[in-house]
Order: sequence, then C-alpha cells, then structure tokens
Amino acid sequence: MTAAAEPEAARQADLRAGDLRLRLVDRAPFLIACGMLAVLVAVYASLRSGVFSLDELNLDTAAAMTLLFAATGQTIVLLRGGIDLSIGGVVSLGTVIAATQFGDSPLSVLLWSVIIVGIGALVGVVNGALVTMLRLQPFLVTLATWSILSGAALMILPTDGGQLPSGWMAFGGAIWLGLSSSVWLLVALIVFWMWFNRTPLGFAIRATGSNERSAFLSGVSPLFINAATYGLSGVFAALAALYLTTQTGAGSPTIGKDYILPSVAAAVIGGISLFGGRGGLLGTVIGAYILTIIGNLVFVLRISSYWQPIVSGVILLISVLASSIAEKSARRSLT
Amino acid sequence: MSDLLEVERVRKRFGGIVALSDANLSARAGEVHALLGENGAGKSTLIQILAGAVRADGGVVRLAGRDYRPSDPVAAQAAGVSVVFQELSLVPDLTVEQNIWFRSEPLSAIATVRARAMRGATLSLFERYAFPAPRPDAEVRRLTLAERQIVEIAKALARDPKLLILDEATSALAPRETEWLLNLTRAFAASGRLAIFISHRLSEVREVADRMTIFRNGATVAAYETKAVQDDAIIAAMLGRQMQRLYPARIATATTNVALRARGLTVGDRLKSVDLDLKEGEVLGVGGLQGHGQRELFQALFGIGKSQGAIEIWGRPTVLKGPRQALSGPNGLALVPEDRRNHGLLLTKSVRENLTLSIISRFVRNGLIDSRKERVLVDEMVQRLKIRVGSPEQIAGTLSGGNQQKVVFGKMLLTEAKILLLYDPTRGIDVGAKGEIFQLMRDLAAKGFAILFYSSDLAELVHVADRVAVLRNGRLAATLAGESLAEAEILRAAMVEARSAA
Repeated sequence: MTAAAEPEAARQADLRAGDLRLRLVDRAPFLIACGMLAVLVAVYASLRSGVFSLDELNLDTAAAMTLLFAATGQTIVLLRGGIDLSIGGVVSLGTVIAATQFGDSPLSVLLWSVIIVGIGALVGVVNGALVTMLRLQPFLVTLATWSILSGAALMILPTDGGQLPSGWMAFGGAIWLGLSSSVWLLVALIVFWMWFNRTPLGFAIRATGSNERSAFLSGVSPLFINAATYGLSGVFAALAALYLTTQTGAGSPTIGKDYILPSVAAAVIGGISLFGGRGGLLGTVIGAYILTIIGNLVFVLRISSYWQPIVSGVILLISVLASSIAEKSARRSLT
Repeated sequence: MSDLLEVERVRKRFGGIVALSDANLSARAGEVHALLGENGAGKSTLIQILAGAVRADGGVVRLAGRDYRPSDPVAAQAAGVSVVFQELSLVPDLTVEQNIWFRSEPLSAIATVRARAMRGATLSLFERYAFPAPRPDAEVRRLTLAERQIVEIAKALARDPKLLILDEATSALAPRETEWLLNLTRAFAASGRLAIFISHRLSEVREVADRMTIFRNGATVAAYETKAVQDDAIIAAMLGRQMQRLYPARIATATTNVALRARGLTVGDRLKSVDLDLKEGEVLGVGGLQGHGQRELFQALFGIGKSQGAIEIWGRPTVLKGPRQALSGPNGLALVPEDRRNHGLLLTKSVRENLTLSIISRFVRNGLIDSRKERVLVDEMVQRLKIRVGSPEQIAGTLSGGNQQKVVFGKMLLTEAKILLLYDPTRGIDVGAKGEIFQLMRDLAAKGFAILFYSSDLAELVHVADRVAVLRNGRLAATLAGESLAEAEILRAAMVEARSAA
C-alpha cells in the first residue's frame, strides 16, 4: 500500500502547486479591476496635483458614495444570481419623501429616515416574494416595481426641488479626524460587509446564487432567501437616497434611473459574476471608484462630458471580457 | 412495532405520471436495508419524500413510531434523516467545509460563522469516519465527481442522523473508496441506527445489506433477508421477468486495422507517455484505480486540454485542437462524457434537439432546417436504441438515467464517428439498460466501430472488453487479454506490480 500512498502524496503536492495559479485565475477579474483603478489614478495624478491627499479622497468618496450604497444592494442581489432594477425607483422615491417631509427637528428627520428605509425594505420583500411565488424573472419584476415607484415619486414631487434641513446637509460635508462623513460611511459599509459575509445568511445567499437546487436540498427556503436578498437591496437603495439628499439638498423624482445600470456596472467591473455566487463588496467598491475617477478625468481633461459614458462602457467591456477569459481558463484546467 | 421506519401505501404523482403507486417499507434500527429496483421504479421518489424535498399524495410514513411528514428538507434533517443524494446537493462556490456545515454552521456571539471551530469539526468528522477526503478549504467546483460524492457523505454524517440514506453513493467511487463506504455503512448501522442503501451493484448489496426491499413500477414487490435469497430471484423481482444475460456474448471482431494509435501520449504529469492501439471492431477497456490518468487519457484523445504525443486516426497523423475537430465526420471521434447530466445532455431540451444538436448543419437547406429529414433520423435512432420516450419532443431531463444515457449514445452515433470513447457509460443506470448498452457496444464493434471503454466497475471491463489497458500513476501498467483478463489481475496491475504488455 505504500506504493499507492506515494503517488497520492505527489498528487497532493501537485494540487498545492496548482493552487496558487487557480486562486489567481479566480481573482483575475478583481485584480484586473485593481489594475485599471491604479492606471486611472496614475493618469489622473499626472494631470492634476494633489491627487494623493485626504481632500481628494474625501471628495471622490463623497461623489462615489450614493452609487456605492446602491451598488452594495445590487452586489447582494447579483451574488444571489438575480438583478434589481427597482433600486432606481427606491432612490427617486426616497429623495422626494425626504425633500417634502423632513422637518427641522432631529426627531422628524429620524422618523422619516426610518420610514424611507422601511419602504425600501418593503419594496424589496415584495420583489422577492413576487420572484419566488409567481416564479417570475427578477429582471421583469423589478422593472415593473421601478416603473411603479417612479410614478409614485412624480406624484409626490413632480419636479426637482423641495427642502432639506440645513443640519442634514451639513452632515454630508462634515469632517471628523480629517475624513469626511462619506469616508466614515464607507468604513462602516466595509465593516458591515466583513460581518455579513461571514453570517449564515451571507453563505446562504451566495450558495443560492451558486446552485439554487443544491441550496434548497440543503434546507434554504427560497422565499426567505429572496425576501432577504431583495429586502437588503431595497434598504441599501433607501440609504443611497438619504445620502444623495445630503449632497444635492433636494428631491428628484427622476434621479434614481442614473443609478440602476451604474450599480450593475460597478459590481461587474469589480468582478461580481452575473451568474451568481462569486465576488465580494471590495470589488464593487473598486468598481464604483473607477466609474467616479472616469468622471473626474473627463472634467480635468476639459473634454465633452459625453465621453464619460463612452469610457465607462469600454472599461465595462474590458472587465466582462477579462472575467469571461478567466472563467474559461478555469474551466479548461478542470475538465 | 420496533421498526424505526415504516412506509405504508405511499403514493405520488408528478403531473400525469405516477411515480409511486404503492410503496411499502419497514426497516429496523441497527440494520442496513437495501432498496432495489430499476431506474424509474420509484426508489428516488420515495427518497425525495423521506428527505422532505417532495410531499406524498397519500399513505403513511412513521419514523420511530411517530407520523413523519417533513414539509421541507429542514424538517427532515431536524427529525434525524440525512440523505446522500444521487444528484448531489453541494454548492460549487463554497468550500468543502462550508458545504459540510451549510445551514448548521457554528456561530459566534455576533452571528458570524466560526471558521476555526468549523475546521476543527470537519477534521474530527473526517477522522472519526476515516474519510479519504479532499482538503477542507478546497472549493467544491474544483473537485472530481468521486471527491464530491465523499463530501456529500460527510455532509450527511455531520448532521449525526439516526436514518442515513445513501442513494447510489458508490456509483462515482473507485473500488477502494467503495470498500470504505461499505465499511462505514455497516459501522453506522451497528451503532444502532438505520442505513438505507441504494445501489445497482448486487455484489455491494450482498456485502452490506441485512435485508432488502424491491421496487417495480412505483410499487413494492418483494422484501427479503439478504442471506435467504439468490441473485436470480432478486433480478427477476426487479424486472418482473427472467433476466436475460447482463453481459452479451463476446465474439472477437477485432481486425488488424488500427483505428486509433497513440504514441507517447502525455498530459502534464497525470498521463505519462502512454502507447495505445485501438483496432477496428475492438472494445478496448481502460482500467485502474480512479484518478490514475484515465480521465486525462480520454480528454487528450478527444482534444480537450493540452497534451503531447502522436495520435493517428485511421492511419493518418492527426493533431486534435478541440472537441469540434474531433467530432467532425466519419473519420472523427465521439465521446460519452463522465458527467452526462451536465456535459452530455441539455436537460431542459427535447430528446430530438439533443440528438441532432451536433449534426444540425446536415439538415439545413437554403438556410432553413429541413425538419422532416431530421424527424426521420430521430425516429430511427429512438427505435434502434429502444429509447423509452412518449415522443421525441419529451424533455431529456424527465427521462430515467438509462434512457438519458441512450440519448447520449444516439447523439454520438449520429455524428457518424466510428471511434467511440465511452467514459463510464453505465454509471448510475439500471440493470436492464446496462445490458442493452453492453449489447449495443458489442453490436457496434461487430460493425467495425472501435470502442475505448472506461468503467469504474471492474466486472464490466472483464466481461465486455476484448482487452483491458490498466493505468497506474498515469503510465500503462499492463494490457490484459484472454486468460489474464480477470478482476483480480486488473486490480493487481492497478495497485502493485507492472506486467509487460500481453
């Protein structure tokens, strides 16, 4: 039997040697996103001084934060193997409710904030229930809820406007220990993710995205997982709306649509698989910064702002291509 | 009643199809109880009911004397029932240990999974049952079928069940791992719990089971003490008729014409300089312990992945760049892949679409598909292979395992390739369909096809192949034929001494 044990040991050694390569291939989309961000930052820094400063970090994070909140929700849904377009509706509705209802007292602001987050959660739970119980495509369900919420937002506030308490907006620009409130929010978001990713719910969401039938056989309830996934997405969309009002100081019934596809793009650029199960929030953060820096570059280069979506599209294509190549080579080394 | 599990008159329909009409079973704690029956006999449906994956339409199930109707898999697990599913319930993107403890992870005070506790529990589980297991931190999508099967078993045992159901758990395992699992099953039962064991291999059932219950057409037809019953009686009960011989007569039809010649075939260090001559009219078996280069050999011959060495097909030196090239035309090769559910078939498409997928260009006229011509060819193939379908439009995923495999064969035959690479073609299919597939292989050989045939069941190699090439550590350890073609000789060559080619 020792004769059989030796090749087994050699085989194990092979596996370990191949391990590093496999891990690199697995993380290729994320690593490529990091590379692209580094290149963009380098270009940006060559065009403008003071890029590597706290001020710049504060500004860029403030610019990216709304997208980041929306993209966090989208990331969770993508990991589940779904997609959430209703994010746009929740963002629009959230801003108009805030702009019309927030009073001057902290209590009123707190109360209405909770209500907005609650609406986001409710919309998500309804999305999840519809997807599960009627067995409908998430794309179509959330497209419908987006449309409904957009209409509701227009009824509450037909045009951009409304008023937000000055204290609320001061929060958006506040600085503690040299870091803006947006950077602190990002830190909180990452801490949340580190926790969430290690909870049984985090496991179950990724597992369901990876193989729905297996997850069910292992005891994951489809209704629960969909309600939780889309519910969380709704909560993050509501947080995106609240943060957005600290930046714009107004409500807008149409602004939400600007975050639907970018939230998907940020996640995909950061290496989240559209087929579910793979990727993490760190990738999405990188993706959101990439999209933000592209905006900065267009501004610094003084070229037409129409270039921004064009460059974003090209970057998105590169990411998708990279993850597709990585996926294929991973599969080849397997079969 | 002292029976741990009692099943009485359980019924289940799926749409218009009656899966179970009258299932009865009683099994005691402390025994290994085998379920036997052809695919489609209703064993899997009963297991799904016990697992809480589907609900019975009628009848009674009692577990430890109490009514047992799990509403979902969680309820079944809570009641102490663990199932090792044939279709496997593992999540590809989670690691081995995350899969084993999925939904019962050890938690910290802030509701996160305690990774270190999970690792410890995994290692002690592996140690307790002497698992030949892969590393706990390997992602499951990286594992072979056999390794996944082992992880699935670990997952079932991790729940510490009082009823363990093994559905075809040995079909993906190599002989050594199978032996381990049989020992484990006996030990599990000996500790006062109940193991229900499902396998198409009678020898395993004989070795491990105390009693058995036999299913046919959705109903229980017989129950026996293993010691008190002959194989013939079991097979007769399963088939409802006397069993025609499982293995067809082996008439040597090999010519001297070499169909496929490989010289110095090498894949990394998994396959080392293998020489092979597959002749026209020959069934050449490939044997050896699992993971000793058989898969790499088949993949290299089919043009998947990188390999070195020379390949001649019908005397012409050929460089295969990929499956598409390997497939093309009467001079090509056709493969029955290892994992037919994922790689051999499109389960959600019809039998017709599956059959003609690789040859659709043949029916195209003026850019449109000539569906009449397609239909004729499909009907012919369905009849020839005795594929049991309502119509060729039936969805492939709804067929039994044996019939699915026949569709894969049909697809392969329609490519008109005369060199066939069959990788474990009878894995997990029932006795009746196995016999038909062996007969088909010999018929094809008699017509001048050249067949390379890997099986994880040694008896199949011995009874169906003309010669058997045994691989060990990626090298050709022996080529056995005639007198020396016996199970013991294959194992000896696979495990110990190298013999010169006969």
